[in-house]
Amino acid sequence: MYFMKSILGLFIFLFSVTVFAQDSTSTYKKRVLETTEIDFLVSYYSQDGDNAAVSGGIGTEKLTDFTPTFVVAIPLNADDVLTIDAGVSAYTSASSSNVDPFDSNEPADPYVASSGASASDLWAGGNFNYSHSSDDRNEIVSAKISVSSEYDYFSLGFGGSYTKLFNEKNTEVSVHANVYLDTWKLLYPIEVRDTTSFIGLDKKNRNSYSVGFGFSQILSKNLQGALSVDLVQQQGLLSTPFQRIYFSDLPDRFHENFQLADDIERLPETRFKTAIGGRLNYYLNEVFVLRTYYRYYFDDWGINSHTASIEIPIKITDKFTLYPSYRFYNQTAADYFYPYNIALSTAEFYTSDYDLSEFSANQYGFGINYTDIFAKLQLAKFGLKSIDLKYDYYKRDSGLNYSLISAGFKFIGK
Amino acid sequence: MKKLLLLLTIIILGTLNSCTVIKEYEKVNINDPDMVLGDRPVDRFEVNAQAYREAASGANGGKTGGGCGCN
Repeated sequence: MYFMKSILGLFIFLFSVTVFAQDSTSTYKKRVLETTEIDFLVSYYSQDGDNAAVSGGIGTEKLTDFTPTFVVAIPLNADDVLTIDAGVSAYTSASSSNVDPFDSNEPADPYVASSGASASDLWAGGNFNYSHSSDDRNEIVSAKISVSSEYDYFSLGFGGSYTKLFNEKNTEVSVHANVYLDTWKLLYPIEVRDTTSFIGLDKKNRNSYSVGFGFSQILSKNLQGALSVDLVQQQGLLSTPFQRIYFSDLPDRFHENFQLADDIERLPETRFKTAIGGRLNYYLNEVFVLRTYYRYYFDDWGINSHTASIEIPIKITDKFTLYPSYRFYNQTAADYFYPYNIALSTAEFYTSDYDLSEFSANQYGFGINYTDIFAKLQLAKFGLKSIDLKYDYYKRDSGLNYSLISAGFKFIGK
Repeated sequence: MKKLLLLLTIIILGTLNSCTVIKEYEKVNINDPDMVLGDRPVDRFEVNAQAYREAASGANGGKTGGGCGCN
């Protein structure tokens, strides 16, 4: 409770600073953003695996997702920038389709995605960010509002940040705070909805409060690094209502080839997370840059994780850069995780969501960037400044894998 | 937790103490776009996918808030 009050207090402070930090000077200064910039970003995601949480830890995890997004940054004056970020995510998911596996003409099977009405969905989201820089550009305050929605979920978010640069802009410290107020539409597995013995969830809200601190430092003409600490408190419905559980101490029941749920996943109503991260970037020479990242995470559900990544941008010409990258991730299991058909009905909390299991994952990426600093290629009143293309392949040692193709096009106003 | 914060404080203070100030005209390499201490815009989808599939995400994204992430 004290943590939440502290975050709300910090949030109100940051918002107040943003609102009142208006300068009245009229002396010449370089604009924070010279002209309107538009980023069009798009991705295609394809996932597969055999540990679907919707069917209690077994079954297909097939999922495809197409996500077009626009990010528009508008300079309001020399100091202020408004950024609007809006996108949709259209997905087909075996997971959501098997909430009701019996709604298609084929026999229900956890390893086959149902082709019924619940097989696809649309997520839409956007956020508005307003930032203000001081005359000497050594202070930046920002505030943002975000909203997102899909069939069974709605989220409203507020946030603010304050950044201070000093030491001739060699050192930067920042603090940011965010509040997310989310609401579920409780959607249970089809077979439990009319069962008298099933006890539904009594909460449908999830609130998340976070505060983060950042510190970055230029260490030499070619080296700079950053450290960050993030603290997150969550409360409310932290489980997913349609994820099934099969108990080992109850008889298995089937309809067609599909095992009927003994219960749904049940998880505690609070969670406290801590993450500490660091970045170190080194400019090797005119061709190579070394970008490294490490993050340690722990929470009170028993999860510890390490993330380490390296990316080596290679400038092959003055317009083209290649981006080979590698990322390693591992985590321990949540205290409440049980594989398929292992949990006991006497336990208070249980889940068979393999995203909460112990695993290691490797990700390999390769990207290419084209930049034309003069943005010669015109489209209406905008010039094309850069194009990014990237491919990532991710594989867990527990079997899940995905491929991700991303593209980004940056246009600047002429 | 206290030990970690103490370690971070020592690192930060040590870093501050050991650095010479780099002037603006000396920051050509530091200002290279690839030296930015953060993700590039096109990386947002990668970060989003990781937030959905891994338990160690922050407050926004994946199963932990700011979107469903239940698939």
